[in-house]
Amino acid sequence: MHDPQVIDTTRELFEEARRGDRRSLAKLISAAERGEALPGIPVASQDDDACLCIGITGAPGAGKSTLVSALTQELLTVEPSAAVLAIDPSSPVSRGALLGDRVRMQSHSMAQNVFIRSMATRHHHGGLALATQSARRLLQHCGWPLVLVETVGVGQVELDVVKTADVIVVVLNPGWGDEIQANKAGLMEVADVFVINKADRPGLESTRRDLEAVLLNRRAANRPIIVETVASKGLGITELAGAVAKVRRELSSNGALATRRIEQLALELEQQVERHLQAALTSVRQGKVFEDSLQRVAHGQDSVAAAASQLAAQVWGRLPEHGNP
Amino acid sequence: MQSQTDSKRWLTASGIPLKDFYLPSDIPDSHRKVAETAPGEPPFHRGAYPTGYRTKPWRIFQLSGFGKPEDENERIKFLLEQGETGFLMEHDRNTADHLYNVDHPEVAARREDVGLTGAVMQSVRDIDICLKDLPIDSTYGHAGGAVVQHAPFALAGYWTVAQRRGYDLKRLPGTGQSDYFLTYLGCVTKQQVPTDAGLRLNADIIEFCNEHLPRWVPVSIAGYNGADSGLNAPQELGALFANAVEYLEEIKRRGRMPLAQAARACGGVSFRISMDVFEEASKLRAARLMWTQLLKEHYDIADPKVSNLRIHVVTAGSRMQYQQPLNNIVRGTLMGLAAVLGGVQSLGVSGYDEALSIPSEHAHQMSVRIQQILQQETNIAAVTDPLGGSYYVETLTAQLIERAWAFFDEIQRQGGFLACLDSGWLHQQAAENQHKEFLAQAEGLQQIVGVTDHTDDISPFEVDGFMGVDDAYDVALERLNTVRRERHEAGARGAMQALEQACRNEDNIMPAMMAALNAEVTLGEVGDIYREAWGDWATPIQT
Amino acid sequence: MSDVPSPEQNKRILMAKTGLDGHWRGPTIVATALRDAGFEVIMIGMVKAEEVVQAAIDEDVDLIGLNIGGHIDVAVRAVQSIQKSCQGVPVFAGGVVPPHAKRKLEALGVEVYPPGSQLPEIVSAARRLTGLSGA
Repeated sequence: MHDPQVIDTTRELFEEARRGDRRSLAKLISAAERGEALPGIPVASQDDDACLCIGITGAPGAGKSTLVSALTQELLTVEPSAAVLAIDPSSPVSRGALLGDRVRMQSHSMAQNVFIRSMATRHHHGGLALATQSARRLLQHCGWPLVLVETVGVGQVELDVVKTADVIVVVLNPGWGDEIQANKAGLMEVADVFVINKADRPGLESTRRDLEAVLLNRRAANRPIIVETVASKGLGITELAGAVAKVRRELSSNGALATRRIEQLALELEQQVERHLQAALTSVRQGKVFEDSLQRVAHGQDSVAAAASQLAAQVWGRLPEHGNP
Repeated sequence: MQSQTDSKRWLTASGIPLKDFYLPSDIPDSHRKVAETAPGEPPFHRGAYPTGYRTKPWRIFQLSGFGKPEDENERIKFLLEQGETGFLMEHDRNTADHLYNVDHPEVAARREDVGLTGAVMQSVRDIDICLKDLPIDSTYGHAGGAVVQHAPFALAGYWTVAQRRGYDLKRLPGTGQSDYFLTYLGCVTKQQVPTDAGLRLNADIIEFCNEHLPRWVPVSIAGYNGADSGLNAPQELGALFANAVEYLEEIKRRGRMPLAQAARACGGVSFRISMDVFEEASKLRAARLMWTQLLKEHYDIADPKVSNLRIHVVTAGSRMQYQQPLNNIVRGTLMGLAAVLGGVQSLGVSGYDEALSIPSEHAHQMSVRIQQILQQETNIAAVTDPLGGSYYVETLTAQLIERAWAFFDEIQRQGGFLACLDSGWLHQQAAENQHKEFLAQAEGLQQIVGVTDHTDDISPFEVDGFMGVDDAYDVALERLNTVRRERHEAGARGAMQALEQACRNEDNIMPAMMAALNAEVTLGEVGDIYREAWGDWATPIQT
Repeated sequence: MSDVPSPEQNKRILMAKTGLDGHWRGPTIVATALRDAGFEVIMIGMVKAEEVVQAAIDEDVDLIGLNIGGHIDVAVRAVQSIQKSCQGVPVFAGGVVPPHAKRKLEALGVEVYPPGSQLPEIVSAARRLTGLSGA
């Protein structure tokens, strides 16, 4: 299935990365971003309490990068190292991207115990969450047990990414009552911690009230913690780190962390399957059989449903099991 | 080419559609009566004074500075000898704009940059050297402090030197800048106090000058820096007045000085003049009219002494091209002409080597010469508001005013000027314009001689700009260490503590700053106090 | 949309400013144009030579763009650090680069795009330097 040379190169890079070579780690993450399967790299132990992935999401302009930078600083007072995956959207038109999160993380630019990687969403179906998962796994294998994933919370793709994290932090700003009401992308349901960043701006109280009102719908036991911060001034960051630690402790003690990790794996599996299906479908779509079916349907010789069934069988035939990934 | 000319849409630089020619009926009714006023009469769009440049030639006012304080002192003297009628102290930007001493790691890593954009002035001793033998009691001086967080230090340094020379601050003429457009829009520094802390600093300066330096222009809002980042003419106007409103509202909220005084303090502004001659000249006319409107309608201030806007202009640095740099002498002349036609009080013409470096001595001299030729050879100074009554210019003035107020209103809807800087909305407006302009150049819709067209160059010599001074860093470091060694340490420590206190409470910061300068507290130490008290501005810019 | 690069072609460009000069107009326009041409542009702001190197390694980039706004020796130091630690990653530069400085950089193998350079020129250089065909 895999070119032996690729396996060798990957293994070599992996060994180097495990020995602490950042360049090799970076190249492996690039491979993960390209959607390569990374043969020979094992899945981390799912019940490893030393590993933690914190997902931080919120609308553009919420101040996430500054917050992540400050939180990283704070976490490093107790943790030996931290890695950050900063994800920004790709342009739907050009597929290019402007990735500017590092600008706000400059205080860590030379830290040997901080690894920052900017990633673009790249619009591959389900692929972003997969790439993030692979990157996280690589990091954790290579001495970076603590990973912060920062992403713009706008759509389903980003929501999937957030769901790959163990602890989910959602960032809001004062005056964002509408955002809360609109319950963007189901974030209200998944958040463990809400941060009202830029808390020195007007509208703090009403935002907090709106938030609390919405959260009443969630059971008291897993009602999220609300923290107020002014990340640019370093205010409230200790409290945020404390909230994350509290969630982590609870998840560990009540077994929820293990459940979440299994859910993460399930999601990953599901997406990996989807990826195969997508590849097979794309291949069928480009072939003659699809064209013929299309013509038959167009000329009324076949129904859409019947043609689809036949094509699905074609897709099936092209799945990896059948030797044609 | 024929079809392109036929289909060309004629627009001003900001995009206002233009007719083939204008008739009296084109002037909006609302503006017609206003157009009939005389210069020196409210609403002043026709000029600040009836006698114009006959009695008060515009001030020739060039940016100048580099190297060590003594190098800058020499250049200022050179410019004054050449006929400059005010002087402008430039502080080294790496150190001043960031409030870093030269031994800060960010500065030390770029030691060769030090002294390239202005003289390094880390303590009152350096400022004293820079001002050596300059007639600061009688000449209008710009103390530097263009960036908001640097202004209190730069001003206090200048004033301390003046006091030590026995001059009465009550009679001291001059200005600083403390400009939001430069600080938060045009030239975003690596570290800067947040916009709300900056507002407090500026209000402190305004109040302090009101009490102690009545002849000093405490702040100068510089639309220039917005425009050269990409804001178009009506946006520059709208944003500038939105900025003024922030200052006035803060002064009003504090209630410690009469609002009319504050309005007068804010009424010395600077604009950029670019290449669209008539739009830019009209912009200055529009600005004066808008200021009277703003003060009357928002603050019920109609005193002509207050509502008569004073305008400094700098010609557009970004219009100075890298290719065929001598062409820039012509560009500087045309932009200078537009500024004068618009009725400026003070003018700086960018150096012809602007795209290559800070001005060389020769480029500096040329900038002064351009202004002297305009003043002395063209007879342009003879009649005030020579464009007044032009159907075109009056129409354009009225159109700019209308569009500028619309932009002003939009800024207010977005939460005000500071909020628009914090959110990056203004940066976005500027960037969009820039992007359009680049596309227009790529598509051949906008032509720049020597750059997009007529690119052959037979110039016999190469312009290589200013080369810098070799020993600026070393001398600055040595002087910094000398100050640290020689100053009365307990006094300096006490002054720093007092300054820190002032930062954390609501007191005016300037008395503590004056004391700090007097006690030889250094630039970087002031920066550390600020950063500790206020943290960093969360910049919306991603470069 | 046939000229849209496939995901395999997502080339990554690091953009850094070597000086402490905050003019952002030029770099922003260039970064936007590169994004619009399909590149992933990672911006890191005003940084020192060793910070450029660190970011280039961690981000595994294909090209480094330096915006130069000060003394040429500062930029030269950055280029030398990159060439020492990121072998094979090409560098191109823009900003305020007078002729003498331009020649210095070019001698180091850096392509220089001074003010007045047109965006298509810069984009096609990025394509060529990252090994994309159709430059």
